[in-house]
Amino acid sequence: MSKLPSLSSVLNAGQRQSLFIGICTFFTAILLLAMVSIVLLIFARGGGYFWPEDIQQLQFVRASDDQPITAYGQYQNQFEQGGEPVRWVVYSHARNPYGNQTLLDDTNLLQARLAPEAARISLRDGRAILGEPLKVTAPSDPDVSLNRLAQRLTQVRQIEQSIAGIRDEQLADIHQKLTELDQRKVGKKAPARLTLNQGFDRWHKRILTLEKQRDAYQLFVRLADQSIVSVALIEVEHLVYPGQLSGWQKLGEALYEVGGFLSESPKQANTAGGVFPALFGTVLMVFLMTIIVTPFGVLAAIYLNEYASNNGLIVVIRIAVSNMAGVPSIVYGVFGLGFFIYGVGGNIDALFFEANLPAPTLGTPGVFWASLTMAILTLPVVIVATEEGLRNVPQGLKAGSYALGATKAETVLYTILPMASPGIMTGVILAIARAAGEVAPLMLVGAVKFAPNLPIDAEFPYLHLERQFMHLGVLIYDGAFHSQTDAKGASMMFAACLLLLVVVFVLNILAVLLRTKLRKRYHKG
Amino acid sequence: MLTLFEREHLDVNNLAEADTAIRVEQLSLRFGSKPVLENISMSIPKHQITALIGQSGCGKSTLISSFNRLNDLHQHCHYSGKVIINGRDINSRKENVAQLRTQVGMVFQRPNPFPMSIFDNVSYGLRLQGINTRRQLDEAVEQALHDAALWNEVKDRLFEPANVLSGGQQQRLVIARALALQPEILLLDEPTSALDPLTTLFIEELMAGLKKRCSIVIVTHNMQQAARVSDYTAFLHQGRLIEYSDSDTLFTTPRKKQTEDYITGRYG
Ligand SMILES: Nc1ncnc2c1ncn2[C@@H]1O[C@H](COP(=O)(O)OP(=O)(O)O)[C@@H](O)[C@H]1O
Ligand SMILES: [Mg+2]
Repeated sequence: MSKLPSLSSVLNAGQRQSLFIGICTFFTAILLLAMVSIVLLIFARGGGYFWPEDIQQLQFVRASDDQPITAYGQYQNQFEQGGEPVRWVVYSHARNPYGNQTLLDDTNLLQARLAPEAARISLRDGRAILGEPLKVTAPSDPDVSLNRLAQRLTQVRQIEQSIAGIRDEQLADIHQKLTELDQRKVGKKAPARLTLNQGFDRWHKRILTLEKQRDAYQLFVRLADQSIVSVALIEVEHLVYPGQLSGWQKLGEALYEVGGFLSESPKQANTAGGVFPALFGTVLMVFLMTIIVTPFGVLAAIYLNEYASNNGLIVVIRIAVSNMAGVPSIVYGVFGLGFFIYGVGGNIDALFFEANLPAPTLGTPGVFWASLTMAILTLPVVIVATEEGLRNVPQGLKAGSYALGATKAETVLYTILPMASPGIMTGVILAIARAAGEVAPLMLVGAVKFAPNLPIDAEFPYLHLERQFMHLGVLIYDGAFHSQTDAKGASMMFAACLLLLVVVFVLNILAVLLRTKLRKRYHKG
Repeated sequence: MLTLFEREHLDVNNLAEADTAIRVEQLSLRFGSKPVLENISMSIPKHQITALIGQSGCGKSTLISSFNRLNDLHQHCHYSGKVIINGRDINSRKENVAQLRTQVGMVFQRPNPFPMSIFDNVSYGLRLQGINTRRQLDEAVEQALHDAALWNEVKDRLFEPANVLSGGQQQRLVIARALALQPEILLLDEPTSALDPLTTLFIEELMAGLKKRCSIVIVTHNMQQAARVSDYTAFLHQGRLIEYSDSDTLFTTPRKKQTEDYITGRYG
């Protein structure tokens, strides 16, 4: 048997070193590549959600029933499947003008041509029609030309507003007065009641006429197969001709979409519309969590580092803290549910809100419990980072402060804490980034995929911390699980991912800037 | 003129109460089980400069830190014996340590300005004492900077960060910071060992001027410096006080063999 020559006999020292460096470089490069591709993928897929794709007139054979179809469509994304190029296509068809989806094999695609005459008409409920707008009708006005579209839109929206105004003010007022009369047991034929009823009828009639007017505004759209559909103009939210836009205009359009994405509620079961409630919920939850975790973590670290004498107990506490950082987050979720919600919340309900039982008041998942749970989850991060910061305060400065007659508390407050602030910042930011990205425990303690109300509204006491809330991470999770086959939904999911990524990036950059600023201030020379 | 050379010396080993700034009685101190100071008794005269010399590690810093109870910062430090300042035993449990430290200022080996502006550094101690009015602070800060011979160099940049100053300036800033509290006693722990010779001279001159305002105890392992600036000198060796007398005597005619060996450079 011939022995393999050992490495050292083949390569000299210099070569061995460059081999080693080469291997390290290789792994670093792979790591870098992985990170870059994650970011690129999310930017491409998420960003694509906002980009107005050109509309095409397509002729293809539908795979499900071998029907030939002519329709306006937009390509969603392309990929290879079994060596064949395939793409997701959304199209409008006479049977369902509001957007069908299909996975299209290139072999099934008979013909495609750009259709600059076609527009994408987004509706209020999140659906969209691809088609060529023909005319827009209005009550008692024979002019149906499309040039009037903008004007007609404002008109119809004004009508809608007056309807809402009547409902909110006049009708609600009358309702309230009627209920008061009911409570005072005023007779059916009492004059007060009769005037009110008359008023009600009058306003109701007014609404009916207005509604009739509103519905007379219709937009007629021709689909690719020449069939014509009409939509109530009030339903139309936005209309673009992607084929007629220049690159810059498309960018403007994309930014408009981004604005909508950030400010609107999700529609169509989280596959369209915006993510505002989720963004808001995430920010609120993280904000509350920061308010809770920072004082706790910082005080605990100060106690451990500055006050506690270095005995066995402190060692045990330190080990416990660093182990807490490794506990799976779902465990915290279960803890939050069992301890905070059923335990603490349940007991508060039993003590103070007995009247409402068995309906829980506080003993139910909500944004406050979620923040509290996340605060406990991120506590170790803050403690460890703060301790690190405290340890970095030079002994000489502490001695200098004591030598000037400062008590321990004064030294901590005026010398140690400012100098440890970069460390504290680091901890808090890490905690924020972690809480913003966490999903599993949140679903147990208050995050839901759809919440009807924001935790803040105009109703007393304005901030409803007991309410459930929406969270970006949960939205993504929901998108990934329930819309697998829905390419559009997947894009929305990617857009949400992109947003989450941007939020975390921005937070981190802020943290780094703040930290370097503080560091410069406190650690110069 | 003659008086310049024949200074009248007090007998530090038999000092009257009125002339005593600090009286140390049988002070012993250990860190954990390691004895650092053993049975030290000495009296430090008022308005004089007293130098502590000795090899590094012999306990000089520990000794002056027991004059303002700074050793309390170390967990395993235990001490017995008395340190009497103004008639009070500061080692008693009743002593208000923070208050004591405003009367006994201390300057360390390495300049340790706080990461704040020059002004805030000097006013740190005053603010802790509850002095907050702008005028009082302004006056006190200016006075302290004058006393530390730093005013002219920093008067135009009082609100710049202190750590842009040079090492010597920083050390004078730290002295000013201590002086702002108008301490009766100023402890200097090797204040010039991190500085260049010229700056060192500057600070030595400063000390001579400060003598009128407070009693000064300076730790140094530089014998020339001790001889130059101090009126009295104590020699410590392995935690014991070996010899203590006026500097002229100690450096010219030491009584103990160990002292002689040390000052002639036979060890250390
Ligand atoms: N915090 C401490 N814990 C334990 N030992 C200490 C501590 N500070 C000083 N010592 C020990 O006490 C002795 C005297 O130290 P120090 O007073 O700093 O000496 P000097 O200032 O004369 O160089 C040294 O042997 C040192 O190791
Ligand atoms: Mg020392």
